[in-house]
Amino acid sequence: MNRFHRLGVLAAGALLAAMAQGAAGEPLAALPPLPAPKPAQVALGRLLFFDPRLSGDAAISCATCHDPKKGWGDGKALSTGYPGSEYFRNSQSIVNAAYYRRGYWDGRMDGRDLPTLVRDHLTEAHFMQADGRLLIERMRQVPEYEETFTKAMGGEPTYGRILNAITAFIQTIASRNAALDRHLKGEAGALSPAAAEGLRLFQGKAGCIQCHDGALLSDQQFHALGVPENAAVYAQPLRHITFRRFMKTLGVPNYDNLREDVGLYGVTKEPGDRGKFRTPSLREVALTAPYMHNGSLATLDDVMDFYNRSGGAHPNKSPLLQPLGLGDGEKRALVEFLKSLSGEPIVVERPILPDYKLRTLGKN
Amino acid sequence: MRRIPGAILIGVAAGLLLGAGVLAGTAPAQSQKPPALGPLPPVPVPRDNPMSPAKVELGRLLFFDPRLSGDASTSCASCHNPEAGWGDGSDVSRGYPGTQHWRNSQTVLNAAHYTKLFWAGEVTSLEGQAEAAATGNVAGNGDPIMMEERLRQIPEYVQRFKAVFGTDRPLIGDVWKAIAAFERTLVSSPDQVTFDRFAKGDARALGEEAKRGLALFQGKAGCIQCHSGPLASDENYHNLGVPKNPAFEEDPLRQITLRFQHYSRGVPEPLYRAADRDLGLYYTTKRDEDKGKFRTPTLRELKYTAPYMHNGAFFTLEEVVDFYDQDGGQDPGKSPLLRPLRLSAQDKKDLVAFLLSLSSDKPIVVPRPALPGYAAIK
Repeated sequence: MNRFHRLGVLAAGALLAAMAQGAAGEPLAALPPLPAPKPAQVALGRLLFFDPRLSGDAAISCATCHDPKKGWGDGKALSTGYPGSEYFRNSQSIVNAAYYRRGYWDGRMDGRDLPTLVRDHLTEAHFMQADGRLLIERMRQVPEYEETFTKAMGGEPTYGRILNAITAFIQTIASRNAALDRHLKGEAGALSPAAAEGLRLFQGKAGCIQCHDGALLSDQQFHALGVPENAAVYAQPLRHITFRRFMKTLGVPNYDNLREDVGLYGVTKEPGDRGKFRTPSLREVALTAPYMHNGSLATLDDVMDFYNRSGGAHPNKSPLLQPLGLGDGEKRALVEFLKSLSGEPIVVERPILPDYKLRTLGKN
Repeated sequence: MRRIPGAILIGVAAGLLLGAGVLAGTAPAQSQKPPALGPLPPVPVPRDNPMSPAKVELGRLLFFDPRLSGDASTSCASCHNPEAGWGDGSDVSRGYPGTQHWRNSQTVLNAAHYTKLFWAGEVTSLEGQAEAAATGNVAGNGDPIMMEERLRQIPEYVQRFKAVFGTDRPLIGDVWKAIAAFERTLVSSPDQVTFDRFAKGDARALGEEAKRGLALFQGKAGCIQCHSGPLASDENYHNLGVPKNPAFEEDPLRQITLRFQHYSRGVPEPLYRAADRDLGLYYTTKRDEDKGKFRTPTLRELKYTAPYMHNGAFFTLEEVVDFYDQDGGQDPGKSPLLRPLRLSAQDKKDLVAFLLSLSSDKPIVVPRPALPGYAAIK
């Protein structure tokens, strides 16, 4: 928990500094390059990303909730999760996932350790409910996989190699050359006049940059915005089940009677962290509706309205949120700017997966 | 696994008490008379899980409830189907979706009389069996907390658990207790079993064939050496050299599960690399002499529980009798108790007639309950 305390102190310091300076933050920039994984590992990771045999009942793959055709999320307010369950948060796009310092909406995992983040997805009861040892044997039953693991990963399928191959693939799913990036490089006309006006508002009157700053357009910190609860989490039995199980496994007190998503508090148990969630990147945001940790805002227009009225109500709500007094034209300009954050299309076709084949019994 | 040293200690102690025969072999020495066949005693009930009608009824609901699995698809009854003799009727069980199991699904009938559950005696109580099956990756693949929270979301279960266990919400440990209590009602009634009526003094209950079969069973055929006592099982471990089931050469999903069992049970790598059969008791003990040994199953209710053996290698009792007649199969570790029996065709018919007399006159079935539904919690 020490890390979180430090994060909290840092955040408080940054917050005070931001308040003193008015709207400030790290300058917007193009994303730095990621370590380039080996193409053979990426190719293998792509197959695994789409392979439902990586889930307990072989029904869902990573792509079920991170669908390239839906902005690498699932397009739903609240994600589906493992068969027999329903999830209680929005499925985040995995575009640029490799840039986050903390993983998940509540930051409960180290984002820089992507293989472990992948492992958590594969094994969690609400996601893919798979046993890593069983996955190895499933991979070993597919001759193309045995061959590819040997060539790309240096040996037969192991749990670690499965995780590393998927990580290699995820490291290639990043935003490149968005209109904003071209604008920042000095390309005249990269931003439409409306988007350019939106950029000014983003960095000025609207104050978005206070949290959505830097190359990722995220300060990587945790803030409470007072996003309204999504009533479906508690009204729909399957979601409420998953919610309670999740909070119980985090050790959240009184999880049985909880009717709010406590966010970072579930990890730190610090009362001041209740209702805080990690600032998401705004890159590709036009493709990743609906918005917020519980998908409660359907469109970017809704999001503009939400911030314009200083967010919602929460005891821990960030003081950065103030009424913005934006007119309709200004909100439209901001949305135009947000649309300029979509990079070149990331085209990844759904692969044809290699089949199980019989092995010679006793030669493993 | 932690139980094993204890079990060995008890074995040693028993050996010291009873003589070298128990230590050296897997069955009582020839000179010792095996426990007699006879009607089953009242079902044993653990002191920490007393029976009550409300608990049994709760256990019946849970037994049939697929929400006690990972993806809410698979209940106990999926592989222990009352209409299939409380097994699943196939040679090797179906397992969890996306998998195929690797062993025959054993009947639940009279399981309450075992002290060792599963084919290789991996657990020692019905409660432990229920938990292991519901959470096992190729069986139920359930997450205990997820299952507990599902039950919490079902008002009728909350009420029933409160009434039976006194808790404000269902607890997963009580789930296994309720299921075990239900299973303790799934036992043969002596008045419904031909042989039991005979054993209790109705000399005319057994036909002539079955009477001759009983004599063979206890004599020339030597079945009683292992199939002894009221349960017709010594609950000991024996290697019979049961032939391989070709399913493991024909179905990729079975091959996956076979290797998974080797891997997850921690056998040495060379054995994993060579995995081609179920190693039985060896997974638990890691002693070479335990390879291929399985716990003697009861012979009660055989009429309803085909196919037979840990891998369902035989579909009829005639095949089973033929197998023993030719001294079992081929295996270096095969039990010395298996000898050529030289049974005549009539002997074999007589034995089968006797075996059938160990089954209830009518199949023991229980109606499938209507399951209570989820409801939002205010």
